[in-house]
Amino acid sequence: MTRIFVTVFAWAVLFFLVAPLLVIFPLSFSSGEILTLPVPGYSLRWYEDFFLTERWLDATKNSFIVGIATMIIATVLGTTAAYGINLTNFRGKTVVLALLSLPMVVPLIVTAASMYLAFSVVGLANSLWGLIVAHTIIATPYVLITVLASLQTFDPNLMRGALSLGARPVTAFREVVLPLIMPGVAAGAIFAFATSFDELVIAIFITSPGEFTLPRQMFAGLREFISPTITAAAVIMILLSFILLFISEAVRRRGERLTAGKVKQ
Amino acid sequence: MKKTLTLAAAALMALTLPNVSVARDLTIVGFGGGYQDSAREHLFEGYEAASGTAVSDDVYNGEMAKLYGMVETGNVTYDIIMVEAPELVRGCEDGIFAPIDYEVVDGSKFIEGATHECGVGGTGWGAAMFFDKAKHPNGPTTYAEFWDVEAFPGVRALRTGPKMTLEAALMADGVAKADVYDVLATDEGVERAFAKLDEIKDHLVWWKSGAQPLQLVGSGEVDYAFAYTGRIIRANGEGADYQLNWSTLLYSIDYWAVVSGSPMMDEAMKMVEWITSPEPLRAQAAVWPISPANAEVNADPALQAANPGMVLNHSDEGLFISTEFWIAHGDELQAKFTSWAAQ
Amino acid sequence: MSKKSRISWLLIAPLLALVVAGFILPIGYTMVKAVKNPEVTAALPRTVMVLDAWDGQGMPPDSAWDALADDIEESRRGREFGAMTRRLNFEMNGARSVLMQTRRALGSLEPPYAQSLPVAVPELATPEIWQLIKNNSNPFTASFLLRAVDLQFTPDGRIEAVPPGTAIFLDLFKRTFWISIWVTVICVVLAYPTAYYISSLSNRAASYAMLLVLVPFWTSILVRTTAWFILLQREGPINAGLQAAQITSEPLQLIFTRFAVYVAMVHVLLPFQILPLYSVMKRQGTSMLRAAASLGAPPWRQFLLVYLPLTMPGVAAGAVIVFMLSVGFYVTPALVGGLQDQMISYYIAFFTNQSINFGMVAALSLLLLVFTGALILIARRFVPGLGSLKAG
Repeated sequence: MTRIFVTVFAWAVLFFLVAPLLVIFPLSFSSGEILTLPVPGYSLRWYEDFFLTERWLDATKNSFIVGIATMIIATVLGTTAAYGINLTNFRGKTVVLALLSLPMVVPLIVTAASMYLAFSVVGLANSLWGLIVAHTIIATPYVLITVLASLQTFDPNLMRGALSLGARPVTAFREVVLPLIMPGVAAGAIFAFATSFDELVIAIFITSPGEFTLPRQMFAGLREFISPTITAAAVIMILLSFILLFISEAVRRRGERLTAGKVKQ
Repeated sequence: MKKTLTLAAAALMALTLPNVSVARDLTIVGFGGGYQDSAREHLFEGYEAASGTAVSDDVYNGEMAKLYGMVETGNVTYDIIMVEAPELVRGCEDGIFAPIDYEVVDGSKFIEGATHECGVGGTGWGAAMFFDKAKHPNGPTTYAEFWDVEAFPGVRALRTGPKMTLEAALMADGVAKADVYDVLATDEGVERAFAKLDEIKDHLVWWKSGAQPLQLVGSGEVDYAFAYTGRIIRANGEGADYQLNWSTLLYSIDYWAVVSGSPMMDEAMKMVEWITSPEPLRAQAAVWPISPANAEVNADPALQAANPGMVLNHSDEGLFISTEFWIAHGDELQAKFTSWAAQ
Repeated sequence: MSKKSRISWLLIAPLLALVVAGFILPIGYTMVKAVKNPEVTAALPRTVMVLDAWDGQGMPPDSAWDALADDIEESRRGREFGAMTRRLNFEMNGARSVLMQTRRALGSLEPPYAQSLPVAVPELATPEIWQLIKNNSNPFTASFLLRAVDLQFTPDGRIEAVPPGTAIFLDLFKRTFWISIWVTVICVVLAYPTAYYISSLSNRAASYAMLLVLVPFWTSILVRTTAWFILLQREGPINAGLQAAQITSEPLQLIFTRFAVYVAMVHVLLPFQILPLYSVMKRQGTSMLRAAASLGAPPWRQFLLVYLPLTMPGVAAGAVIVFMLSVGFYVTPALVGGLQDQMISYYIAFFTNQSINFGMVAALSLLLLVFTGALILIARRFVPGLGSLKAG
């Protein structure tokens, strides 16, 4: 009896989680202008509108520019910092770690408002660079976490061995450490990209229409004119999250295999 | 991996650099919607063709914070901006708008009261109550009826903020147009307006941008809404069957102002002169029911006949929104409204 | 410092520099802005100097009038004067128009101003406005922080509650707290049986079921909110379905209500509760339950005494994340809620964009930060190992 109840309950919750996303798909292919089901007919007109409207394309372009730049900077800075943190037990390590993960615990609205106030003073507001800096800051904690996790499974003797064989530290890092922690780095990079690509609150505060990202443009659309083009944009974003989820799961599995292999050895 | 990173970085540079290196266009900012579409075609692009200066336009919802931020940090990316009268006066007092160069702009061509130290009249505008006749053949036609949730059940939409909302509430409560601002200047009058708003609070949705009330009524989300008349007329032109109640009209004039610290001050003044001159305004009036603050165009009988939706044609039916009142009481009533609406 | 730890610092330095410059400094800047009060001294330096020697009783000395006239003349084209009047109007409604009137009047007045000004601007002939200037000549003020808890200064410097019609922030903090609590409770109630069910499945089935949690988790918050925005419309799919099934005859008002805020927030945050619960339950397995059962304990006792305590860390970890994220939520309530359903974050955005009052932005941010900081400290006491959890 309890068992049946739990099963039904769980499936109802899972349905609640997924169903709203599924509703968007048919709506985005609707031939009508009113967002209701059943749709009057199917067409690609909203996708056409998305791909032919300058502000949607600009927003998509901005999202990719900021997302990729954030991913690169966050991954490079996060990985080197994680390596540095893992290398020694220096004084002040816990403080540094706490400081670097602060952007995760401070409410986003406070971060966004503070960045707006301070970035305006130094001319970083209303520029893609400002948004890249902001996104890098909120994305690096994820890179730190994933890379630190994979560094913990890494055997420091391997690095020492390479160094004793005369390899330069940089070479040793590139040839020995990096391949082994790659799953962690890649997972962090994907998370960094996803964080930037989804981020809206900071974008609301520090961008003007010229720098609108895809979520920011959707938000403007929801408050302005709710054309079904928004559903097309939403479907495109869902598909992208799907791809990111898929890559991140693949990376995770690979990471697990690597760790498992090492344990066996 | 390394190759990919280099490629990505190169692509990134290629995409961002042009935005940084090219000098920016003369930028003019308005409230968007159909008015701005027609202005873009006949005023902005017209000036671009006439002067050879590249012009681009942007949209805002009347929030002044960004503008103040720009001027105060010296990073001014807007040159000309359309503002409501109280914001013009306050912005001028605060040094946010530059004084109009009346050597360049001809101050004599405007209707009375449409020139100011820091701005010249662009267009008259109004907002009124409307509903979809297809859904409600006999909807409310006065503010008293708009407030009558028994006789006219349904959801109402008003603009977020005290301006226009409090005037409407007092008129719904039976205050005559001529007395609205006298009553609202007293504490009892303010209490009375909020008490009247309390009556319909549970039936209200609040909008921010001009497009929203049309969207809300169009999608059936809202039954009766207060909206800018130009947008209602445009929707009717596109096939909607909306009843616009001119007797509920609240109207004013929007101004063109030049932003302090604009790096293209001279160009901006020339553009302001050009876009307030008769020829481009006539062209614009042919496609959009503007009420230009240019006296000659505004008085043109042919234009008035062709554009029954011109706000200044209906001025005797409506209430002119008092600039002085909102300059004096804006902050206080905004604070009261914010507190009231949040409860 | 050893050579190795120097390398450590060298590797950490770039990220640390970025976080300090782009995050710590902006937050610090904002916190300082919450108590800074430079406007009056910047615009009226001479007046402030004269008033400094005044005891605040009765009218100020005649020299104050001349100083005020000099200051206004000096700042005629600058922006300091406007900023100062906005600042003082925040303290006392009407101060701005008095001062603007003074500026206009001064154009045609002759000294001595102690005689000519009070005639032109009668409001200046009362001590209030001078007290206000004097009280705000201090470079720091508690005004914004007080206002953020619905208190204010009187002209003579006492602290009092704001008039009832304008009080707002205490209610908002309470509302933010309670909405967050309820969202957290609902998430726990929904997540617990679900995570339990998934953890009881075979590995393969569980990974498919988890996909149904992970897909929404990876989908943008805005996209999920958009979905609810569409679903809850008056002529949207839910109302259409309810009417087609003849459950309701009239469309229900779903969007722009507190109900919509709860539904959408729970939907957005639920995966954050399911994921840690699932990982704890998966590790736990059902062996303890079986052991308890073999000792003859009835099912509800097995659950209450064995399973629940063992899975408590998962509940706590998820609940803390959900609660912390709820407290700072902005986008979802802003889109699907009405003005009566907004939380403190909405007003931080409001003061940033709508009204030009960065002191209030800073004060509300500071209070929200302190509020969250306190909750983290409390949570850390009760939930060991919280620091290592990721919160998106």
